[in-house]
Amino acid sequence: MRNPLCTPVEHRLSRRAFLGAAALGGLVTPTLAETLRNERKQVLFVWLDGGISQLESWDPKPNTTFGGPFRAIPTSVPGIHISELLPETAKLMHHLAIVRSVRTQDDSHSAGVDRIQRGDPKNRGVVYPYLGSAMAKLLGAGDSGLPPYVWVKPMNGGFIYKDAGFLGPKYGALALGDGKPPENLLRPSEISAADDEERNELRKLADQRYTANRKADTTEANSYAYEMAAQLQKRVELFDLAKLPKKDQDRYGSHDLGRHMLLARRLLEKGVTFVKVTSYGWDTHGDNFNGHSSLVPKFDKPFAAMIQDLAERKMLDNVLVIAMSEFGRTPRINGHLGRDHWPEAWSVCMGGRGLKKGVVAGTTNDLGTDIATEPYDIGHLFHTWFQALGIESETKQYFNRSQPLPIAHEDMHAVKEVLA
Amino acid sequence: MIPRTLKDVGKPIFPTSQILRIRFSPNGEQLVAACTDGTVRFWDTAGKEGATLRGHSGWVTTLAFAADGRLVTADSWGALTCWSKDAERKKLWSITAHEGWLRALAIREEEVATVSRDGTVRRSKLGNGELLNKTSLNADLYSVTYSHGSDELLIGDLFGKVHWLDTAGKRVRDFERNDFHLLDRIQDVGGIRGLTFSPDGKTLAISGAMPKTGGFVQAFPMLELVDAATQKTIWKWKGANDNEGYLHDLKWLDNDTLVGVTSGQPGQGKVLVWNAKTTEPALVHLKLPNCHSVDAAKQLLAVSSTNANSSGNGRGKAAEYRHNHSPISLLSLG
Repeated sequence: MRNPLCTPVEHRLSRRAFLGAAALGGLVTPTLAETLRNERKQVLFVWLDGGISQLESWDPKPNTTFGGPFRAIPTSVPGIHISELLPETAKLMHHLAIVRSVRTQDDSHSAGVDRIQRGDPKNRGVVYPYLGSAMAKLLGAGDSGLPPYVWVKPMNGGFIYKDAGFLGPKYGALALGDGKPPENLLRPSEISAADDEERNELRKLADQRYTANRKADTTEANSYAYEMAAQLQKRVELFDLAKLPKKDQDRYGSHDLGRHMLLARRLLEKGVTFVKVTSYGWDTHGDNFNGHSSLVPKFDKPFAAMIQDLAERKMLDNVLVIAMSEFGRTPRINGHLGRDHWPEAWSVCMGGRGLKKGVVAGTTNDLGTDIATEPYDIGHLFHTWFQALGIESETKQYFNRSQPLPIAHEDMHAVKEVLA
Repeated sequence: MIPRTLKDVGKPIFPTSQILRIRFSPNGEQLVAACTDGTVRFWDTAGKEGATLRGHSGWVTTLAFAADGRLVTADSWGALTCWSKDAERKKLWSITAHEGWLRALAIREEEVATVSRDGTVRRSKLGNGELLNKTSLNADLYSVTYSHGSDELLIGDLFGKVHWLDTAGKRVRDFERNDFHLLDRIQDVGGIRGLTFSPDGKTLAISGAMPKTGGFVQAFPMLELVDAATQKTIWKWKGANDNEGYLHDLKWLDNDTLVGVTSGQPGQGKVLVWNAKTTEPALVHLKLPNCHSVDAAKQLLAVSSTNANSSGNGRGKAAEYRHNHSPISLLSLG
């Protein structure tokens, strides 16, 4: 008997893997499509990998023992101050909400990234989905015809099925390495459309035969990758940022994070459900202050441009925006003038769909060494984000075959102070 | 004559704060420190603590004495302050010299030059802080020195460029030392952290590191000696390991001898003494972790380092969450 499990090779994106299958859209009237689009719920998830310092961003403690060299500046919301390294975001605080009392469980990257992005639920012997895969499942792909979970990241891309956990590979991430479409996406010019169609028909037949002796979800994922590829083939213009106004390119910045945020905006405009943008290199154990002096402004500019653009397009009513890391950074400044990992009392910034505007939830003590109010774990934040999107996180369940599973940690609740 | 070893003189001084810069007073009798708690602290060479100057914000980032003993201090919020030369150390004047982190200053006769993260270099009157001129160089500026025997300024930036300006702020020339900079992902790392002329003005020392990564910041400390007239490299030294970090401070002891200190990953730190004619250090002192500043007076070296076990993820098991501090060691050059 054949092995029912697929191999990673079968999920690699290539032209061959992308060919074929019908579009998902095109079956609704324009009016209905417009209505659906207006009701569309989407997420932008900005992941600053390694750990942005809360003290050099959302929860500055100037002129204190651990406060570092930077000032706090006023924002567009009276009484709320953030780091001077975020001047553009400060002007848009009236769109945003900050939770300053986040306490999570891991102080290592290897465990922290996974636990945070999977919501750190109780252990039930299954691997929970990353937030992007969860949203792909719970919100669906909509009518965009594009994959529901797209990850814009530096370096390599591909189909990251592991993110989906027990939901199955179909809910994995389509990762656009360096913001570029998968390699060999377009049909080579030497192959005619008719030949291409013929090859596709052959591929479908092979798929059917392959499916006969395998688990449905693996073959579903395989077909799904083809479908998505077919859609991407029709939307290659999405990736050509050079055609955007130079003003936009300047506002977002020419570095990786700027370009990737601009691509993320286009993907959201086209209706992708969940767009994750990752920036690596935030693990500033050494020279933290010069590091943040360089890094944070390169986040600030495109993040603020994104918030401004989403607001101007009325998209903040539909799009939930989250910016975070796997933890914060220690108040203590080490001998390398760095800050180490700190899950004890850190901050997450969010805004948009379902959230109050211009608020701060939770506080840390004067030195930033502890939380002075109710601490919130990642499970609280998952409840908050689900509920902001209209998902009843306390009652809604996944079904892993016949096993019911809560979608967020059942001992936790939403952060009411930030829910609209 | 470079000694074979550096011997401790007395017990280390234990300040309550971390220290970014230490300097001896011109007569060598006082040691003064720029502290991350916003204070400026004094000790005599026996380790007895004297005055504490307050009024700065953020970190006190650097300081320097005028020849007559007046003290100029700077902070990370852009303030520049001048204190009297007498024992009272009265505040003579204080100005907001820059829009943000004032990283380095230099004094020549009745003028003080400052550079900042705000990308500008400013000349002020030493007497009252009055602005003489200000020039934008559109880069994060890390180091500044007066050219030997003139009022021209050399400024080192984050990207490894040395800007040479005349007294009016006009460009005389610039030269690049790209090894001192790395763009790692989206982080610009490194920078020319120090520029120092030899006492005879013939040689310029450029110090910092060759970065290997951002984030964690793995970097090889680096020192390049340059012919001041031609800007040609005489020699360049690079540390052996990428965990050694930056050459944070450098001092010419005389025309033939330099001393520098390094701080890399927690626990890594060296005091290095070079014969200016030889690339490899003649003396390497390994007993002090994470050294950030050094100065010399009267055959005495003062080195600020960092307490042991300064790093660690999370809260740790200790009941109290403690900050780190910078012990100051006095070492004999004799």
